[in-house]
Amino acid sequence: MELEDLKSIWKSSEPAFQPKNETEIASMLTGRSRSIIEKLKRNVWFELVLTLAVSVALLVYALALTSGMLKWSFISILVICLAYTFYYIKKLVLLNRFNPANENVHANLVSLIDSLTGYLKFYRRSYSILYPLYFGLVLLLGAIERGTTQFLEHLSKPKTIAYLLGMAGIVFFLCTSFTNWYLKKLYGNHLDKLKGLLKDLEQ
Amino acid sequence: MAIAEEKRFINLINEHQGLIHKVCIMYENDPDVRNDLFQEIVFQLWKSFSTFRGEAKITTWMYRIALNTAISGFRKQTRNVKTEDLKELHLNISDGWADDREEEVQRLHWAIRQLSEIERAMIMMALEEVPYDEIAETIGITQNNVRVRMNRIREKLKKLMCP
Repeated sequence: MELEDLKSIWKSSEPAFQPKNETEIASMLTGRSRSIIEKLKRNVWFELVLTLAVSVALLVYALALTSGMLKWSFISILVICLAYTFYYIKKLVLLNRFNPANENVHANLVSLIDSLTGYLKFYRRSYSILYPLYFGLVLLLGAIERGTTQFLEHLSKPKTIAYLLGMAGIVFFLCTSFTNWYLKKLYGNHLDKLKGLLKDLEQ
Repeated sequence: MAIAEEKRFINLINEHQGLIHKVCIMYENDPDVRNDLFQEIVFQLWKSFSTFRGEAKITTWMYRIALNTAISGFRKQTRNVKTEDLKELHLNISDGWADDREEEVQRLHWAIRQLSEIERAMIMMALEEVPYDEIAETIGITQNNVRVRMNRIREKLKKLMCP
């Protein structure tokens, strides 16, 4: 069977579809896109706004505090939030540059895979840094509340150390498992599909 | 100005909507998902319309966006159609085939759906008489590679259609 035979079969019957009228087409020009890039953009915007809101709240709260240690704990979180803000802005600039019209299928797949991989990598890395940081912060707040001498005395007990290590392990395991599951559900499956397509294309 | 551009775009879609419908049929079985995909392709075309400067043929530009959207950019909200469903569809079709030609057409459509998404894009363009250099440009591979892959696709279709 030659390509010409296939063409002849293909042309002998046009696939049945209901043509769209002009009003229907016009209504499609507005509305919400369901593309992966638009979804990424919406997520980044949501996270950026949330980070900024949390930063402002933290700043207001930190400035109102008189306790030095607690104040600096909040300011350290504020610094992390600001670093995230720069990342989100950079990500939005990159996503806005993305245009499927300028790329062929191969280049489009490569760009999408790079973009999604970078996004997921950033999330995993940032969470693996943030969890120990938050844990340290909880300890710091505990020290402030109890008083440093009493806190260190309590911390030197083997039972307390075992409890803290156990808690740290459980929290770290649950948080990383949840993050991995969430990211896989959000973009991971789509990323696997894209990698499969690229592999197929490059064979 | 904007209204004139919108009108020009709508006329363009009206004229070439068969191309978009064919891409949708090639990639989606479910009529609702197919409709969503059609909308998404039109939306993406509209977003890029202002940047189209006529360097490529209008159909090449449309194929590029339609295929990028269908293959890698579109997020389905309903379930994927599994291979088992396709087999079932094939069997259902075969029960009601009216004549030999119609049978061949249905068999070809079924066989194309068994191919990978990239292969589907290539064979669809080839069947639509898109020249190999344009297929190569749209997919992002060399013309030689297109020729090699088209031979492989043809062999696959032959085996699927005449087992």
